[in-house]
Amino acid sequence: MSMPNVPKTLGVSVLMAGMAFGSAAAMAADGPLRGNVRVVIGSTSTGGDTYQNSSIVVDALAEKLDLNMKVDAVGASSAFRFLDRDPRGNTLMIFHDQSYLGYLYGVEGYDNIFEKYTIGPTVAINPGNAYLVPKDSPYENLDQVIAAVGDGEEVRVAIQPGGVSEIGFSALKNAIAIEHPGMEDNLVAVNTGSQADKNQQLFDDQADLINGTVQANEQYTRLPADDQKAMRFVWLTARQGTIEQAPEDGLGQTSREQLLEYVEPNVTVTMGDENFTFDKEFFFLYNKDMDPAIVDQIDEALGEIYAEGEIQEVQKNSFFIPNFKPSDEAAEYLENKMSVYEGVIENIQ
Amino acid sequence: MLDILSLLDITFFLLAALGALVGIIFGAIPGMTATMAVAVCLPLTYALGLHHGLALLLGLYVGGISGGMVPAVLLNIPGTPSSITTTFDGYPMAQRGEGERALRVCVVASVVGGLVSAAILFLFAPLLAEFSIKFSYVEKFLIILLALTVIASMSRNMLVGIFSGVLGIWLSLIGTYSISDGGNGKTRLMFDFLEPYLFEGFSLLPVLIGIFGIATILLEAEQGVKSGLSGKEIKIGKGGGFSFGIFRGRLTNLVRSSFIGTFVGMLPGVGGSAASVLAYTQEKNLSRDSSEMGKGAPQGLIASESANNALTGGALIPLLSLGIPGDSTTAVLIGAFTLQGIQVGPLFIPENADTWYVMMTALVFANGVMFFLMFYAIKHIAKVVLVPKYILYPIIVMMCVVGAYAINYGIMFDVWTLLIFGVLGYLIQKVGLEVAPLIIGFILGGQAEVYFVKSLESFGGYSIFFTKSPIAVVLWALIAASVTFSVVMGLKSHAKRRLETSQ
Repeated sequence: MSMPNVPKTLGVSVLMAGMAFGSAAAMAADGPLRGNVRVVIGSTSTGGDTYQNSSIVVDALAEKLDLNMKVDAVGASSAFRFLDRDPRGNTLMIFHDQSYLGYLYGVEGYDNIFEKYTIGPTVAINPGNAYLVPKDSPYENLDQVIAAVGDGEEVRVAIQPGGVSEIGFSALKNAIAIEHPGMEDNLVAVNTGSQADKNQQLFDDQADLINGTVQANEQYTRLPADDQKAMRFVWLTARQGTIEQAPEDGLGQTSREQLLEYVEPNVTVTMGDENFTFDKEFFFLYNKDMDPAIVDQIDEALGEIYAEGEIQEVQKNSFFIPNFKPSDEAAEYLENKMSVYEGVIENIQ
Repeated sequence: MLDILSLLDITFFLLAALGALVGIIFGAIPGMTATMAVAVCLPLTYALGLHHGLALLLGLYVGGISGGMVPAVLLNIPGTPSSITTTFDGYPMAQRGEGERALRVCVVASVVGGLVSAAILFLFAPLLAEFSIKFSYVEKFLIILLALTVIASMSRNMLVGIFSGVLGIWLSLIGTYSISDGGNGKTRLMFDFLEPYLFEGFSLLPVLIGIFGIATILLEAEQGVKSGLSGKEIKIGKGGGFSFGIFRGRLTNLVRSSFIGTFVGMLPGVGGSAASVLAYTQEKNLSRDSSEMGKGAPQGLIASESANNALTGGALIPLLSLGIPGDSTTAVLIGAFTLQGIQVGPLFIPENADTWYVMMTALVFANGVMFFLMFYAIKHIAKVVLVPKYILYPIIVMMCVVGAYAINYGIMFDVWTLLIFGVLGYLIQKVGLEVAPLIIGFILGGQAEVYFVKSLESFGGYSIFFTKSPIAVVLWALIAASVTFSVVMGLKSHAKRRLETSQ
């Protein structure tokens, strides 16, 4: 390994530090979007998928538009408030399906995004939303879980209520209500917080099934069966077509082929006419009064970025599935998506 | 092994040192924290690559936690939440003109804490991770409860102290029982019109710097502007009075506090401030003579600072062997891995041996740099108190305001929180309530609630708190011992006072 150029590396870091602290506006931009742009995200974590995905997209966008853009992990309620206050376009938001699921589940601080905001383009999918059981669980697969609940057995599922973590649980409950009417109450939600809490519920034998992610839990699935921490995937909520686009190597040491075992048609959760799937999709949200020219400008810039094809590689390397849809298309698509889940949630109430 | 040596180039060490320096500055500015320092520099890891990026971030982490001692000792403002117990003895020492001596004690304690925890991390990480998952909601609640018992032993008047502590807990419950903790997300303890501001409750840092910093300044302001220097009696240089002899007979304290810090660090979801509070409590309970603690005793500084630096190694244990951050700073640090597409989880260490060794090197090196930077710079840093107060205090107020505004990325209500708690801190001291128990109640109250409610939800009845596990029983024994000790000490000092007045 060659020695890196010390002054250069340090120079780059100092330069980057300057940028991180926020410097003067880039003047070269000639579109309607000008000055410093702050992209707030609906998560407070800088270690999570929302931050990671937003960084990839915003970095590419900043370069394309020659603007100074920064991602701030302010959390959902703050992010919505910041967005409400700024119709100039200097505050944009990136979030995922939680933004409307929170509304559907009646969580405080969430409004109907389709009425209150302008929906921007979708940029990527995180295909990792998963459900896991302990490695020594009596349930071999999700069908056995559904059958057991149908037979009157109580199955406890650790989730974080009010959003992405709950929607799979709701769908499962709905499927049980369809296949084994009247038995759905045997599927019990254990309300927890972070992924750590959900894992802990499994270790403590306080839950039989937990919501997790491929990214956070893959290593746990490779532990030996006699390890208290060992887990097994039983269901990935993503569409088969989404996982098929993942890199062939999959994630960690779990290949794409192995991951495909946990999606349709191998694992199905019925909604009656069709099967339930859930892709966690990231998209932009704009202030309703923002200049429509900015909407077009970002659509156009992202269109070019995706046409160049580099960003897809970066996203796939980080286990995201590229999924660019311009604003109009995205709004219609997401509104349809919401109405499907609205049906599921109403069905089990 | 050679592979690893090739990763450790000059840039690596320069970055770790730079990180430690910048971290110290962040930690020393009231309102800026280690977490902020790491968050601000996180995007740099793209340009630097994983190993160089980690060197910088770990330097920032170690420096940021250590830097908090400076304003805690000199100005009575905890630079980071985990240095609040440092103010209890540090500021009285600084007022006696022993600021430099106090800081040197802190620096030595910090480096010992940091290195002990690094050693524990290196040798026992997977084993301890295994142990940490034995702590369910019940045990975590009991740990918090144990830390809360310090309220009884540290108050001047136990009843007033406990009342102040309960008040602090009450203040911490304002807002929502957050849905991200599995709560119902409904607001409480407020009027409807306050909802937009208090939805997430009062944020910790503005409360902390308000109640310590602003209140101290208000109290000083009441006495009027004096043209004299703020620290006439200050002993600097040879007169500083520091020698390593201070640590004689304090080794048990040093080692115990380092272990406590590491241990609390490795429990995910038990905040960093609990570490120094718990170490402080234990020193108070277990040392032969703790009567001077709270009035300017080096042993309090040793407990507080070795514990809060030991947090660094401790918090990395669950991060690197479970993929779960142990405190708020490591929660940001995890971003450095995800941004590079590296999974952290139970197999991280065996599968990324290079990165693991590189991190250990950075951690130990950053501790060394922190020690040399601070130990030799203290002479100059301690001179801050020589700046006339009418110049120093406005600058502090300004920094507090900027810090409060910046902590949640620009929320004006945080600045109001700073003011509200500044005035409140001033008033409660005027009416005779105690600040330290109040703030400890405020810091630990929220967690106590979540773990208490979750324990009941998960396990059903109250008896589980006693029967959950042998660990729970041990914790109860410690709680009982701590409470008994406080009561006995309280009665003793009461009798002593009565004896003095009757004479």
